[in-house]
Amino acid sequence: MNAPNELGRFGSGNSVRRLEDPTLVTGTGLYTDDANQVGQVHLSLLRSPYPHARIVSIDTSSAASMPGVVGIYTGADLVAAGVKPMPTVAGFKRPDGSPAVSPPRHILAVDVARFVGEAVVAILAETREQAQAARDAVFVDYEALPAVVDVSDAAEPNAPQLWPAASGNVSAEARHGDAAKAQAAFESAAHVVKLDLLHQRLSAVPMEPRAALGSVDPATGRLTLRLSSQMPSGARNTLCDAVLGIPQDKVRVVVGDVGGGFGMKTGLYPEDAIVAWSALKTGKPVKWVADRSEEFLASHAGRDVVTTGELALDANGKVLALRVWSLANVGAYATGSGVAIQLLIGPWVGTSIYDIPVVDYRFRALITNTAPTGPYRGAGRPEAIYNIERLMDAAARRLGMDPAELRRRNMIRPDQMPYKNPMGQVYDTGHFDSITRQALELADWNGFDARLAESKARGKLRGRGIASFLEWTSGNSFEERVTVNVSGDGYIEIFTATMAMGQGIVTTYAQLAVDVFGVPIDRIRIIQGDTDRGVGFGSAGSRSLFTAGSALKVASEKTVDLSKSLAADALEASALDIEYLAGRFNVVGTDRGIDLFELASRQPARQVFMESSTTVSGPTWPNGCHICEVEIDPDTGETAIVAYSSMNDIGRVVNPMIVRGQLDGGAVQGIGQALCEQVVYDTESGQLQTGTLSDYALPRIDIVARFKTEMDTSVPSTNNPLGVKGVGELGTIGATPAVVNAVVDALARSGLGARAEQVQMPLTPETVWNALQGRFPVQRAVNIPGV
Amino acid sequence: MSTIQLKVNGNPVSQQVDNTLLLVDLLRTRLGLTGTHVGCDTSQCGGCTVLVDGQPTKSCTMLAVQADGHEVSTIEGMGSVQAPHAIQQAFMECHGLQCGFCTPGMVMATAALLSKHPNPTDAQIEHGLEGNLCRCTGYVNIAESVRVAAKSLAGAR
Repeated sequence: MNAPNELGRFGSGNSVRRLEDPTLVTGTGLYTDDANQVGQVHLSLLRSPYPHARIVSIDTSSAASMPGVVGIYTGADLVAAGVKPMPTVAGFKRPDGSPAVSPPRHILAVDVARFVGEAVVAILAETREQAQAARDAVFVDYEALPAVVDVSDAAEPNAPQLWPAASGNVSAEARHGDAAKAQAAFESAAHVVKLDLLHQRLSAVPMEPRAALGSVDPATGRLTLRLSSQMPSGARNTLCDAVLGIPQDKVRVVVGDVGGGFGMKTGLYPEDAIVAWSALKTGKPVKWVADRSEEFLASHAGRDVVTTGELALDANGKVLALRVWSLANVGAYATGSGVAIQLLIGPWVGTSIYDIPVVDYRFRALITNTAPTGPYRGAGRPEAIYNIERLMDAAARRLGMDPAELRRRNMIRPDQMPYKNPMGQVYDTGHFDSITRQALELADWNGFDARLAESKARGKLRGRGIASFLEWTSGNSFEERVTVNVSGDGYIEIFTATMAMGQGIVTTYAQLAVDVFGVPIDRIRIIQGDTDRGVGFGSAGSRSLFTAGSALKVASEKTVDLSKSLAADALEASALDIEYLAGRFNVVGTDRGIDLFELASRQPARQVFMESSTTVSGPTWPNGCHICEVEIDPDTGETAIVAYSSMNDIGRVVNPMIVRGQLDGGAVQGIGQALCEQVVYDTESGQLQTGTLSDYALPRIDIVARFKTEMDTSVPSTNNPLGVKGVGELGTIGATPAVVNAVVDALARSGLGARAEQVQMPLTPETVWNALQGRFPVQRAVNIPGV
Repeated sequence: MSTIQLKVNGNPVSQQVDNTLLLVDLLRTRLGLTGTHVGCDTSQCGGCTVLVDGQPTKSCTMLAVQADGHEVSTIEGMGSVQAPHAIQQAFMECHGLQCGFCTPGMVMATAALLSKHPNPTDAQIEHGLEGNLCRCTGYVNIAESVRVAAKSLAGAR
């Protein structure tokens, strides 16, 4: 355990052992399904087996009389009770300039089911088994309707039209840049490379499935809703304001331990709303826990975009213009985040670290009969960086240039900071060439040929891939409020509305508190996950440390200042003569002083309390260079990652061990996208084919033997008082293109040349083997006409 | 319905159970031992790993009635917050956990691995833990935790 004596070892910069761990490693954490209420009943959901169907009738008569059944509710029941649909896309426009559209997203499907797995009927019973048995006795008569699950299919003129207001199945469109200028650049360019790229649909798969437990206090009528959520306040607000139409203070959302989120556990889900509503209606506690198959069916999916990207370059390899035209499958209901991620957030970093003067971006969000999409680690930035990094490698191959050299010729220089990119985003700092140079050295880039020969001698193909990139962090939410409570009982309690889900923020925040207060770290208690204690945006977009951490530092400093004047009173001295050091206020030049906690115990409420909000001045721009080498077995198509090095600019570092964990853990998720993960809907039947972990392939322990992960802390962010940059998503964003570029390189070197660029993710053994035989998938080009 | 008698973490347990009750549900809901987790429905994730007579077993794929007459060891029997087991200590030292949901299963699988291979090779570590999924750590620190635990246990002998 952490020894409480050497205070300097527990402040920023140290790899302090995590405070979260003793509970978690002994299995004494409190995940949502670990919590139970006396008398609780269980919710089971009957889900649509059709991708698109009219609900003709629902017969609950057999189910209603089954043992233990407490209630059965349909979409119509909820509408009659005044339950409103969930919010959908807002703030975007359709191609004709009218507001973006979506079918209404009812909590339980009303009249029409729009994707396989959409919840249609809710069944409450005393035990889970009874609820499931009764669910299986509910009979829904469906009339199948024409369906479409693939986004390119949905864009075809003869596709089933899923919503009258969404002609062409287009929910929203966004264009950025200057199409005419880009056209001129492409016409005059010495070189043009073009790629049709698939960003396959992914599932976040946190190891803990979603769960909810709602219970009403009979005395007050208040609902306490326990969720596995990254955003307790957001879930509460949507539930109260939009769905149930009740005052916010009638609902308290509490969050305990969360077994992974990765963006998927943001916002309100229909299941949460059903738990809340039925707990209020019946007065009984209601519990719901998702099966893994329900997670694959109905949790918000990630990515699912098809892109045609083009790069125009001059004879020296300077990029003149970038075109990115994409169709994004936002699923059956266009959610606010699902659309924003693809139409705005991703495009914000489309030119990445490169000094590209002209862009022509055309993005369309299409609805299909699939589960809605939402944030998944990186949320738009992986798509953008994959596009540019695949194009850079293709350009290097075309020009016969080293891929690192081509990139370095186009990088924004430090003397160009602050740099405004074509989307109007301003990068405050960045030493991109230095990071890349360090990564090349770390990866022994120049020694590749020897390793290539050695692999070949063993009958293996070898390839190397590089990704140099930046990313945008914050979730577009820059303010955080923190309360600090120094208790006379000898501890400091700090509340924030950000939310732990494995990323180590409790320990990191405690280290920041130690920096200011200089007390042993075991005196610091970080409190989260309770909307009664405070509200805020929550944890997403790698924002927690630089927003809430900054607020915590400021609040802690204010607390010390306030305490100084209280100490001055207690010591009958002038505040100017008081200094604070390591938990004690001293009158300078004397031996008179008072301990921080003793001072607190003498206050009227036996505490010193501070509340403070801080707004940071902008996003942080973490960046890095990831370099991967792969070996491919030509007989089986299996790809092994044999080397993975990265240099990462993450600004100042509070806990190096935790930061490395985020980079490496994130990288493995990116590798999963590159090599093995994909959510697949059968295009004929609309059925989900990857409904279990037997079908959806996650990386296992043999995926990577070791990472060479280094951090450059010499370029602090200027946008927050800590100088840190958000790291949660950086590894994921860099890994996917680094790995794919490595496989393409190996295939190109095997004799395929530029044809290798036609491969698409995931690069499964089957896909790679087929490529080696000269067989490539057909990836339809995206054609979005000019205005 | 059947009456089963078994040992759980060394303690005798007698329960009347439906024949369809899974071992993991006996542990979590009957005995309140919620450290063993359910992460999937097809036996893929390993979050439910316990030891049955010392053998690593996915408790989601075993019926409670099958445990009649056997000894079950769960994460709760490995160590406590005040006195963690050497394996748990190694996971904490090596940052081998982030969200913690897969961790009890990883610890139990590690216990089984090290009892069979006290000084495991990298290949043996991969084979021993290939039935346990983690979505957070990327596995490298988990493998290191196993190596450190092996050294620690060897040193203690």
